[in-house]
Amino acid sequence: MFAEIFKFELKFQLRQPIVWISMAIFCILTFFAITTDTVTIGGSIGAVNRNAPYVIVQILSIMSIIGVFVTTAFVANVVNRDFELNTHSLFFSTPMRRRDYLGGRFLGALAVAFLIFVPVAGSIWLGSLMPWLEPERIGPFMAAPYLYSLLFMVLPNLFFMSAVFFSLAALTRSVMYTYVGVVSFFVLYGVSQSMMADLDNQTIAALADPFGMAAFELTTKYWTVFERNGLTPGIFGPILVNRILWTVIGALIVLFTIRAFKFTAAPQGKAPKKKAEKGSDEMVTHIGTDSLAHLEASRSFGAGAQLRQYLRQASIELSSTLKSAPFIVLVLIGVLNIVGNSLALNQMFDTSIWPVTSAMIQVISGSFFLYVFIILVFFGGELVWKERQLKLNEVFDALPVPNWVIWASKMTALAAALFSLQAVAMLTSIVFQLSKGYSNIEAPVYLSGLFFDAGIAFLLMAVLSFFFQVLGSNKYLGFLLMTIFFISLIALRRIGLEHVLYRYAQVPSNPWSDMNGYGHFMQGMIAGYAYWTAIAAILMVVVHLFWVRGTESALGVRATLARRRLTRGPVSVLVVAGAIAAALGGWIFYNTNVVNKYVTQNALEEGQAEFEKKYKQYEGLAQPRVVAVNADVDLFPAERDANVRGSYVMKNKTSAPIGELHLWLNPLVKGRTITVPDATVRMADRKNGYTIYRLGKPLQPGETMTVTFDLAIRNDGFTNNRGVTNFVENGTFFNNYEWFPYVGYQSGSELVDTNKRRKYGLQPIQRMPKLGDPKWLGTNYLGSQSDWLTFETTVSTSADQIAIAPGYLQREWTGNGRRYFHYKMDSPILGFWSYLSARYTVKRDRWNDVAIEVYYHEPHAFNVDRMIESVKKSLDYYTKNFGPYQHKQVRIIEFPGYERFAQSFPNTIPYSEAIGFVARIEKPEDIDYVFYVTAHEVAHQWWAHQVIGAQMQGATVLSETLSQYSALMVMEKEYGKETMKRFLKFELESYLRGRGSELVAEMPLELVENQGYIHYRKGSLVMYALRDYMGEEALNRALAKFVNDHKFAEPPYPTSRDLLEYIRAEASPELQPVITDLFEKITIYENKATSAKATKRADGKWVVTVEVEAGKYYATSGGKEEPVKIGDLVDIGVLGPDPKDKVHGAPILYLEKKRIDQPKMKFEAVVDSEPAKAGIDPLNKLIDRNPEDNLKAVEKK
Amino acid sequence: MSLQLQISNLSKTYANGVQALKDVSLTIPTGMFGLLGPNGAGKSTLMRTIATLQEPDSGSITLGSIDVVRQKDDVRRILGYLPQEFGVYPKMSAEAMLSHFAVLKGLHDAKTRKEVVDALLHQTNLWEVRKLNLGGYSGGMRQRFGIAQALIGDPKLIIVDEPTAGLDPGERNRFHNLLAEIGENIIVILSTHIVEDVSDLCSQMAIISHGRVLLTGDPGKTIEAMKGRIWKKTIAKSELANCQETLAVISTRLVAGKTVVHVLSDSDPGDGFAEVDPDLEDVYFSTLSRAGEIAA
Repeated sequence: MFAEIFKFELKFQLRQPIVWISMAIFCILTFFAITTDTVTIGGSIGAVNRNAPYVIVQILSIMSIIGVFVTTAFVANVVNRDFELNTHSLFFSTPMRRRDYLGGRFLGALAVAFLIFVPVAGSIWLGSLMPWLEPERIGPFMAAPYLYSLLFMVLPNLFFMSAVFFSLAALTRSVMYTYVGVVSFFVLYGVSQSMMADLDNQTIAALADPFGMAAFELTTKYWTVFERNGLTPGIFGPILVNRILWTVIGALIVLFTIRAFKFTAAPQGKAPKKKAEKGSDEMVTHIGTDSLAHLEASRSFGAGAQLRQYLRQASIELSSTLKSAPFIVLVLIGVLNIVGNSLALNQMFDTSIWPVTSAMIQVISGSFFLYVFIILVFFGGELVWKERQLKLNEVFDALPVPNWVIWASKMTALAAALFSLQAVAMLTSIVFQLSKGYSNIEAPVYLSGLFFDAGIAFLLMAVLSFFFQVLGSNKYLGFLLMTIFFISLIALRRIGLEHVLYRYAQVPSNPWSDMNGYGHFMQGMIAGYAYWTAIAAILMVVVHLFWVRGTESALGVRATLARRRLTRGPVSVLVVAGAIAAALGGWIFYNTNVVNKYVTQNALEEGQAEFEKKYKQYEGLAQPRVVAVNADVDLFPAERDANVRGSYVMKNKTSAPIGELHLWLNPLVKGRTITVPDATVRMADRKNGYTIYRLGKPLQPGETMTVTFDLAIRNDGFTNNRGVTNFVENGTFFNNYEWFPYVGYQSGSELVDTNKRRKYGLQPIQRMPKLGDPKWLGTNYLGSQSDWLTFETTVSTSADQIAIAPGYLQREWTGNGRRYFHYKMDSPILGFWSYLSARYTVKRDRWNDVAIEVYYHEPHAFNVDRMIESVKKSLDYYTKNFGPYQHKQVRIIEFPGYERFAQSFPNTIPYSEAIGFVARIEKPEDIDYVFYVTAHEVAHQWWAHQVIGAQMQGATVLSETLSQYSALMVMEKEYGKETMKRFLKFELESYLRGRGSELVAEMPLELVENQGYIHYRKGSLVMYALRDYMGEEALNRALAKFVNDHKFAEPPYPTSRDLLEYIRAEASPELQPVITDLFEKITIYENKATSAKATKRADGKWVVTVEVEAGKYYATSGGKEEPVKIGDLVDIGVLGPDPKDKVHGAPILYLEKKRIDQPKMKFEAVVDSEPAKAGIDPLNKLIDRNPEDNLKAVEKK
Repeated sequence: MSLQLQISNLSKTYANGVQALKDVSLTIPTGMFGLLGPNGAGKSTLMRTIATLQEPDSGSITLGSIDVVRQKDDVRRILGYLPQEFGVYPKMSAEAMLSHFAVLKGLHDAKTRKEVVDALLHQTNLWEVRKLNLGGYSGGMRQRFGIAQALIGDPKLIIVDEPTAGLDPGERNRFHNLLAEIGENIIVILSTHIVEDVSDLCSQMAIISHGRVLLTGDPGKTIEAMKGRIWKKTIAKSELANCQETLAVISTRLVAGKTVVHVLSDSDPGDGFAEVDPDLEDVYFSTLSRAGEIAA
C-alpha cells in the first residue's frame, strides 16, 4: 500500500508543471552563477575556481534553502490537495492507513523535490565546461563535492523543511498559513542567526542552524584559496552533529504529524461552527413597495456621493486588511525583527552604538521593509480579487458605483495599511530608543526616512502590484510579476542598466547623513519620486481602464471595454501625467546626463582600465617634485562649489634635465587654467584628465619652476548614482589627490581583481614594486609627486561654517559675508593635505603645550571626551617611547558618513560620523574602539607623518602596522590585558577570514601590498606577540631609534626590511627565527592541549601535568600549507577558574615560555592555588586556527 | 409610464467557443417575467448581460431610454440583482453590510438609510440575526440576505437568477410571495429551470435553450394553445423504446414505479392514450423536444 501511494505521488508530482518549471529555473540560475559574474549565489571570487568544491557545496546548499519555497508548495499540496479538490471524503473512506497515506505522499513529494536538485548539480558541472570561461579558473572535475552537497546538505535540508511544512499544512490545512509559516520561519531564522553571530556562540550557532550553513561556515571560515579549490568539507565535527540533529528532529515531526492527523473533513482542532438559525421562519408577507417609494428622493449619485462611497468602501477594505491574520502575523514578525536587529545594533567589535534615529531607520529598512514588501504584494492581490474570491463580485459589480470608487478605495486601503506599517515601525523604534535611555527622537528624520523616502517608494510599488494584478488578471501571475520586478531591481543594475529613469520607483541615490541630512540629494529624490508618481498615475489609468467589472476577464473584451472607458477624465489624466512624466524625466535626464555625467559601474571600470593602458607607461617617469604648495580655496557649501587657486613650486631633484611635465587633473573639474611657464601642450586628454607639457627649456637638475592653477569645481544639479560627496552643504571634506593637480601617473585607480583585469585585457596586477627595488626607494608611499613640502593655504567658507586645513591658524577674518582662515604649516609635511568645512561645535583641551581640538556635529557629543582622553594618553605614550610630536596641535574633525574611515593628515584627523561618534561604550566588556581608532590616528603622526616608507612591498608595515601596535599599547595601558585579549580575538578572526577573500595573493607581513587584513589585523597579532617575546622596552627602543634615524628624511626612504634590522638588533639571538616567522613567512600554528591532570600536594600546592601537541605550518601565497619542523618558544600555562564577570580573564597561575621541538610534549608545573585549565599558548599569542583547543580542563586527582 | 426592457438580436460567444446566446430578441414588460430553460441554456449569460456584468458580441438591450450596454451606470442605479451564487464579507454583520450596500446604492442620508435597512431586515425576516456575522449564516439566511440587498434603493429592474435553489419549500413559498408583491409595478426577471416557479408567478415568460429563444408569451395562453394535443398513457418500461420510436414523446415520468408518458399529437394516438389538460410543463417539454427535432 505504502509503495503504491509513494509511486502514485511521485507520478502525480512529476506531472505538475511547477516541478519542471522550478527545476528549469534552478538549473538556469545555477548555470549562470557558475558561468557569469552577473548572477552570484555565494560563489567564487578572486583566485577561487569557478567550480571549486567550496563553491559547489555553497551554491547547492543555498539553492536548497531557496528551494524550500517550492518544496513547501509540493508538501503543502500533498496534504491540502484532497481538501481543495474535495476528494478527501473519497480517500478517507478507503481502508488506507494514515501512515501509508501521509507517509507515502510525504516521501513521494520529498523524492521529487530531491530529484529537482540532481540536474541542478549537473548544471554546475555543465557550466564548468563552457568554452568562454577562463581556463585558469576551472579546476579538475571532482565527484566528491557534488555527492557531498546532494546527500549531506541538500537532502537533509529538504527533509527537515518538508517535515516542518508538511506538519504545518497537515495541522492547519491551509496553504496560506503554511506560507505564513515559511515566512515566519525565515524571519526567526534570520534573527537567530544574526543574534548568534557573536564570536563566542559559533558552535551553538552552527548546531542551531537547520540548514547547516552556519556549520559549513564554521568549518570553512578560515579556508584559504588553496583549500577552497581542493577540499570538500569532511563528515565530522559540527557539520555531522548538525545534520544528524536536524534529520532526527525532522523525523520526529513527521511521526508526530502522522499520529496527530485525523481522517476527517474538518480542519484539526476546529469544530465546524454551528450557529443556530435564529429568527422565526415567517417572512413578513405584506411589504408594500410603496412604503419604500418615498425614499427614492434621497438617493444621490453626484460627485459628493461618490466621494462618500469611496471613503466608506476604503475604510471597509482597510479594516478588513488590518484585521486579517496574515497581516497581523507579518507585522508581528516584522516588529520582532526590528527589536532583534536593534539589540544587535553595533558597528565594530560587538560594541553597540547609540540608537540615533538615522541608525534606527537603517535597522528598520534592513529588518522590516521585506515584510512591508511582502504585505504590499500579497494584499495587492487580495484586495484586487477580494470580491471575486468571496463570490461577491456579481452583486458588487452591479452596484451603481463608478469604477474609480472601487479601485481607488482598494488602493487607498493598501496605502493606508502601508503607512500604518511605517507608523508601527516608527513606534517600535521609538519605544526601543526610550528603553535604551536615548530620548532625542528626531521626528523629521523619521518622517523623511519612513514616510517620505520609503513611504512613497512603497506606494509606487503598491500601484505596480495593482497594475500587474489587474492586467495579468490572475493573482498568482501578479505575485510572480512582482517577484520578477523585485529581482529586476537588482539584476538590471548588475548588467549595467543603472539609470533611475527606467528602474521603476527608483530615485537618484540619496544617502542620509546626520550632519548633512539628505543634503543636495533631496532635489534628485523629489524629482525622482515625482517622476515615478506621474508614471504611477498612468499605470492607475490603465488599472481604471482594464479593471475587471462583472464577469468578463478575456483580454479582448476588456480591451473593448477599456476603449469605451477611455472618456475625457482618464484621457486628461493620461495627458497631464504623461506631460509631467516627460517633463520630469527630461529634467532628471538633463541633470544626470547633461549637467553631470552618467557613469555606470562598467563604464567606471572601463575608464580605469583605459587610464591604466594609456598612461601606466609613464609610471616612475622622472618628474620634478613639488616642494612648496600655496593655495587659496573658496568653498561655497550651499552651492557645493569650490574655487581653487594655487601654485606648486617644483624642483628637479634628479641628476638629468627634465623636458616634460605630466599633470593629471580630475576630469570632473569644470574650469581649469593651469599655467606651466614657457611650455607647450604636447598632449591633452580631457576625458582622462591627463596632460603632457613640453617645457620650453628643460628643467635642469636642482632648478625649480612654479606651476599655477585656477580651478573651478562645480557640482550642479544631481547625479544618478551617488556622485561627488566631497562637496556638500554641511560637511565638505576633500583631499589633494582627488581635486588638486597631480604630477605624473597615479596607480591608485588600477583595477585589482584579476578576473576584472582579464576582462579588459590586463595582466594580473602588480600591486606594489618588489621590496628593495632600487628604482622605487626614492619614492614614498604617499606618491611620487613630492617628498617633504612647505604648505600654506587660505580657505574661505560661508559665514556659519568653520573651514579647516593642515597647518596653524594664522588669521581668521570675515569679509563679503564669508569667513576666511589662513593656515600655515611650520615644518615640512608630506604631499597629503585636506580641507573640511561644516557647522561645527568645538571642544578644546590641552596636553602639555599641545592644543587638542575636536570639531563635531552638535548632537554627536557622546564620545568627544573619550577622543580627547585618547589623544592625551597617546601623546603621553608616543612622546615617551618614540620621540617628540612635531606639531603643537591635534585636531579631530567629524565629516559626514558617506565614507567610513578616519584618516590622519598633518595635525589634522578627519573622522567619519559613521565610526565612533555614536558608539556607546558602557558595558565593561565593550571594546572602546573610539579610543582605539583615535590612538591609531594619532600614532600616524609618527608612523607616516614622521617616518614614511618607500613605495614598495611592506610600506604599510611602517605606517599601519606600527600605528596598530602603538594604539594597542595605549589601549592596554588604559583597559588592561584582558581587554586586549578580546580585541585580539577579533583581529585574529578578521585576519583568518581575510585570507579567504584574498583577490590576488597573501603576502608575509614584511612584503604586504597594502592589504588591510595583513597590515592591520595580522600586524596587531604579530606586533603583540613580538612585544611579548622581546619585551616592550626593547621593542620601543628599536622603534625610537628607527624614528630618530629616518624622520623627515629625504629619499631614499626606509623599507620594512630596514625596520626589521632595527628590531633584530634589539632582539636576542634565539628570537631571530621568531622574527623570521612573524614577518617573513606566513606562519600558522596548530597547537592543542590533549590532557591536563593535577594532584594536590601535602603542602597545598598543585602539581599540574599537561600534554600538548604542536604543529607549525608555512603557507604559500595561495594558502597551501606545508608542515615544518617546530622548534619554537611557546607559552605553557595554567589558569585558575573563570571569574564571574565577562571582563576579566581567568587568573594566570603559571605561564612560561618553553622550547617546543617535538610534535607531542609533556610539561609539569607547580601552582599555588587550584587550577582549572592548562595548555599551550593559553593567551593565543600565536596565529592558530583553533585557538579554543589550546586549553584543556584540568582533571583533578 | 411603464418601463419596458427591449432585447434585440443579442449574441455572445465565449472565448472557449461556446455560443451562449444566438440572436436573442425579447421584449420584457413590467411585471414578473420568467426565463425558463435547462441548465446551460444561456439564461445566466442573458441575465448577466442585462445586469451590466457581461458584454454582448452583438445586439442591443434598452431599458426604457437607457442603452444597457453603454450606459451601465444608469442601469445600475435602478437595478436589483441577485445572482445564482454569491458570497458575503464573512466578518461583517448583515446590518452593517446592508447599510454599506445602501451607501453604494446612493443612500447617503444616515436616517433614511437606517429606515430602509431596518425595513428590509424585517421584510426578509433577518431582524433577529442582523448583528450576527454573515459568515455564520445558513444557506437560507444568506439567500434572504441576498434578496434584501437586491431590494435596496427601490429598484425598477430586478433580476433574480435561480433564487429558490437551496431554499426549503416553505422559504421558497414565502420568497415567491415577496416577489409577487414587488413585481406588480416594476420589471422582475426570474430565471429558473423549475417550471412551477414560472407558472406560479409570471405573467410573461420565455423558454430558451442552447442560446436561442424557443418560445415567448403569456404562460396561460401557451398552455391554452396546447389544449387537446397532449396525451398520456401508463406503460411498462419495456414498451418505452417502441413508444418513443413511433410517437412524439415529450416527457416520461415515474409514478409509483410505472412509467407515464406524455406525447404530443394533434389527433388521438389511440392505443390507450388519454387526453390530458396540458400544464406549463407540457409546454416546456414539448418546446424543448421540438427544438431537439429541429436540431436533429
